[in-house]
Amino acid sequence: MLSFIARRLSVAIPTLLILVVLSFVLMYSAPGGPFNSERPLPPQVLANIEAKYGLDQPFWKQIVNYVWSVTTQFDFGPSFQYKDRTVNDVIAQGFPVTLTYGFWSFVVAVVVGVSLGIAAAIKQNSWLDYLAVGISVGAQVLPNFVMAPLLTLGLTLGWFWMTGAALLPGGGWEGGVIVAACAEKDNFCFGLPWGGAWRFDYLIMPVIALSTSYMASIARITRSSMLEVLNTNFIRTAKAKGLPMGRVIRKHALKPTMLPVLSYLGPAFVGMITGSVIIDVFFSTGGIGQFFVNSAFNRDYSVIMGITILVGALTMFFNLVVDILYAWIDPKIRY
Amino acid sequence: MSLLNIEDLRVSFTTADGDVNAVNGVSFAIDAKETLAIVGESGSGKSQTAFAAMGLLAKNGRATGKVMFDGTDLLTLSERQLNKVRSKQVSMIFQDPMTSLNPYIRISEQMAEVLMLHKGMSKSDAIADSARMLDAVRIPDARNRVRSFPHEFSGGMRQRIMIAMALLCQPKLLIADEPTTALDVTVQAQIMQLLGEIRDEFGTAIVLITHDLGVVAGFCDRTLVLYGGQIMEDGPTDTLFADPSHPYTHGLLRAVPRLDRADSELATIAGEPPDMSRLPKGCPFTPRCAMRRDNCAADRPPLVDFAGDRRRSCHIPIKEVV
Repeated sequence: MLSFIARRLSVAIPTLLILVVLSFVLMYSAPGGPFNSERPLPPQVLANIEAKYGLDQPFWKQIVNYVWSVTTQFDFGPSFQYKDRTVNDVIAQGFPVTLTYGFWSFVVAVVVGVSLGIAAAIKQNSWLDYLAVGISVGAQVLPNFVMAPLLTLGLTLGWFWMTGAALLPGGGWEGGVIVAACAEKDNFCFGLPWGGAWRFDYLIMPVIALSTSYMASIARITRSSMLEVLNTNFIRTAKAKGLPMGRVIRKHALKPTMLPVLSYLGPAFVGMITGSVIIDVFFSTGGIGQFFVNSAFNRDYSVIMGITILVGALTMFFNLVVDILYAWIDPKIRY
Repeated sequence: MSLLNIEDLRVSFTTADGDVNAVNGVSFAIDAKETLAIVGESGSGKSQTAFAAMGLLAKNGRATGKVMFDGTDLLTLSERQLNKVRSKQVSMIFQDPMTSLNPYIRISEQMAEVLMLHKGMSKSDAIADSARMLDAVRIPDARNRVRSFPHEFSGGMRQRIMIAMALLCQPKLLIADEPTTALDVTVQAQIMQLLGEIRDEFGTAIVLITHDLGVVAGFCDRTLVLYGGQIMEDGPTDTLFADPSHPYTHGLLRAVPRLDRADSELATIAGEPPDMSRLPKGCPFTPRCAMRRDNCAADRPPLVDFAGDRRRSCHIPIKEVV
């Protein structure tokens, strides 16, 4: 197992390197640059700025310098757009936010999705099954750019009109979710036993908007996987032993059911913790999803590269985690 | 009193193409310590008869009639009451040992849960008992191998494990659904020998479901021949084999390859098994029967007793069936 992990990690490094080079080439070949604007700068000024950021150097030298500083100093360079910030600053500011709402979205999507899928499979062709399938189809076809404004409309504005007080803030990320103490007006805030308070009113709408479609996919995969497992011979054996249905499900059916779900969860988790531009824009959360899209518009090369590498590294890491979990569930898999 | 008494059992499945009637009024009994073979080709309803008795029919299946076991009708029991009978009083082993054990759970867990459930044993006692049972079915090094996973065993070994698991609570009845079909011939013989020893040692009554007459011959006291979900013939194995009273049994026996005869070609029964969703009103074997009469297709022949301990369902007089 340990040698498997070592092997996978050693493959991950060249893979990341290829990712870096490819993204670098792609961006270099895209027209325009970070300092092109509607009103062109005087050529002399432009040349000076480009020299400052090393953009005047030949392509191979730029890429070698970049890879060198990333690998040796973990320095992703300065942002071209935000003059006083480095890429590390941008990620350090945005990633904790996306990580927080992404993580909770993941928890909600898995808990709701898996239970919905299992319930639907056990009661196949009952009203519960149809309801669950209906919910998951509905959630899947409802894109988050529709979901997000609907939520704002309903839970913030609509609530305000009806009750005269906002149930949830329309957006923002005021100091994160762990705060010193709850304010009087906070609707969703709990004191923590070890001091401080957990305030999640800012979290609710982003989590609903982000988790719905993932939840739908998870429910669908879980349902079909569970249905398949319930038809296997070993489930029949378990029933013939006289085990009650609950035990049959928990002890015999759950593990094999989770295998296909698990392979979906790895990429889904990365997708969620790296956020979504929709969420960031609609709820002004300030996560990296928004930075990523803005940097692409502004040719902010270093930020694009930084976030690409982050997403790439996370994807590889969580695929590895999934593979390890696979081996833990299925005894036939040995690395 | 007989141990298991099935009366007029009917099993049907609701499908998109209409109802499929897999078992159509089967009645038989098995005494304690008796060995009964249920013989028939694929789709004759032999497995579904057993599944119905155990309450293991697929979701779209329905069973009517009576399955009397120890004075209670198993078909009327709730799932919870039935779970007290399953594996404790009546056990079942299945056709495909490669897929009948849960591949994700250790053998020790799979066996111990039976004892913990039905006998309230502690886990360590249950595992120790399981290992002893594996030893009894001659799994080598059972004490250590009990903690293995199913994929670490061969097909024959897995069927031994299934048998051991089925016998943990020393049930009065073991239903073996084609236990040797998926195994190769030498292993088949070993498994049959093992089942024979178990019958002698534990006094378990065995219902052996098979299509292999060779397996039946040396093993079962009595044989029941099913076709189209109905009993064609029933009697002591020796007399039934020596002197079949039904054209279908006759054809089945002729279709067994024999090494001691010089027949160059293997006899077959012409035609195909009946479509269970459109069974004829009369005898289901009529279209394939070489001796059929005018009334065979219209009247279902009753199952009548004869020769003291035999039953048959056929319009043709016994003397003419040769």
